[in-house]
Amino acid sequence: MSSSWAVLEKDLRLLWRHRTGWLSALTFATISVLTYSFAFDLVTAEVKPLLPGVLWVTFLFAGTIACSRSFADEVEQGTFDALLLAPVPRTALYVGKVLANCVALLAVEVAVMLLATILFNVPLLTPALVLSVAVGTVGYVSLTTLLSTLGAHVRAREVLLPVLSLPLLVPLLIAGVRSTSAALDMPNGDAPWTLLLVVFAIWSILGSALLFPLAVER
Amino acid sequence: MDYLGYLFAGFAVFWAGLFAYLLWLQARLRQVKRQVELLEERLAASEDNTAAPRATAGRS
Amino acid sequence: MTTITRPTANSGGMLGSLGRLIAKLYEWHWYVLPPVVGIAMMAMIVGAVVVAPREAVEGQVQRLMYIHVPSAIAAYMAFGVVFVCSLMVLWKRDMRYDAVARGAATVGVLFTALMLATGALWGRPIWGTFWAWDARLTSSLLLFLLYAAYLLARSLADELDEQAARYSAVYAIVAYLDVPIIQMSVRWWRTLHPQPIVMRLPGDQQLPTSMLLVLYAGMIGILLLTTWLIVLRSETERIGARATALRATLDRAEGN
Repeated sequence: MSSSWAVLEKDLRLLWRHRTGWLSALTFATISVLTYSFAFDLVTAEVKPLLPGVLWVTFLFAGTIACSRSFADEVEQGTFDALLLAPVPRTALYVGKVLANCVALLAVEVAVMLLATILFNVPLLTPALVLSVAVGTVGYVSLTTLLSTLGAHVRAREVLLPVLSLPLLVPLLIAGVRSTSAALDMPNGDAPWTLLLVVFAIWSILGSALLFPLAVER
Repeated sequence: MDYLGYLFAGFAVFWAGLFAYLLWLQARLRQVKRQVELLEERLAASEDNTAAPRATAGRS
Repeated sequence: MTTITRPTANSGGMLGSLGRLIAKLYEWHWYVLPPVVGIAMMAMIVGAVVVAPREAVEGQVQRLMYIHVPSAIAAYMAFGVVFVCSLMVLWKRDMRYDAVARGAATVGVLFTALMLATGALWGRPIWGTFWAWDARLTSSLLLFLLYAAYLLARSLADELDEQAARYSAVYAIVAYLDVPIIQMSVRWWRTLHPQPIVMRLPGDQQLPTSMLLVLYAGMIGILLLTTWLIVLRSETERIGARATALRATLDRAEGN
């Protein structure tokens, strides 16, 4: 148990030491929301219905940027093999990284939602919305972190990661957009979208935790 | 209400796609087979030249 | 035929004789499968164009069903093979399963593309549009994207890279398990495509028997074709892997 805490501590410290990864995700998300706001303002005055889509597309892309180098530091410094040999359950390696990535992305998302509150003039930081965003974050971060181990040595990994992850994340995108519009009192169909978000998060974290040890085995 | 043009286009796309894939696959199969033959020849030749006692035979 | 090692059967027991039978059939596939597939596909095209009756409401264009629905079935079968072989790659660590998984994924992507193309050409006269973001269309397109991404990821490393094979196998498993969630989410989202009309109980059948028989013949034909294509493609992948291995050996031998 203490070794798992050590892993988490290592991941949080790495998160702080390699700030450039998630800071570039934050910069990307800011630019993205600004550009959307600007571009939509050119064609329509009614931007509120577009907001859920803008938010979730931004989150997903920021997520692939922030998670794409999840294990890159360990692999490049050659400590990843040592970690695999260490008496730590491999699932703990995975969970530690997911938690660290979640912390980083929640920070990015809160910033984006603050910015969007100002730009789109819609109060976004409500409990229902924050809850659905947090659940969705667990869902896509767990899957993207698993996929980021795909070929740490493969060329063009940064381009490949969204190609791999976005089709898998479509259910999460639909559920996230719909539950967000529900939280903003917009028409959203009669399906339990938040439940789907929860199901997706559970599915992706369980499946990834089971498959991660198999994916990194050599 | 028969839309024979669409019917014809659908069947044409299907069969053209299948045959294009089959032809490409045949060409690729022939190409890799020739590659394997050439490489085996080269390997045998290089083994004759070095005449090293070490067995460097390719995996079968 | 080739110098590639063939799967050999274990001796003894029911499983052993079954394995021997499969090995025997496998040795014959070069001679048996092509003519059988040819005959079945001829039967399929004759059935679709000549035998099947003209549909009352949609007219002749409805004959596209006899290639559209079998294509979908073939794609699902191929992706099932990818899933099973990916599990075997992780479990048995045998690169032959990786070759079969890659071959089946290529064939599945081909049939998904054919299904989407024939579906678009059928949808244009009947629905008035080539494409709509309907549940079944969306999930089919996502299947295409998922397995194209799988092939892309796998092709970035060479055939002998076991690590890449394991990664891609993990991706294929996640993708396959994601398909039910995708279908649930898009069905809640919207639907326009008719519900499946093939797999119904006899009393609840919507298609007339003559159409159904032609459809079943088409399915048998296309399943045989899929088997043949997967075998051919896997064989190609395996010989390609051998070429890569030989090249590596040669490099070592000449480098010394």
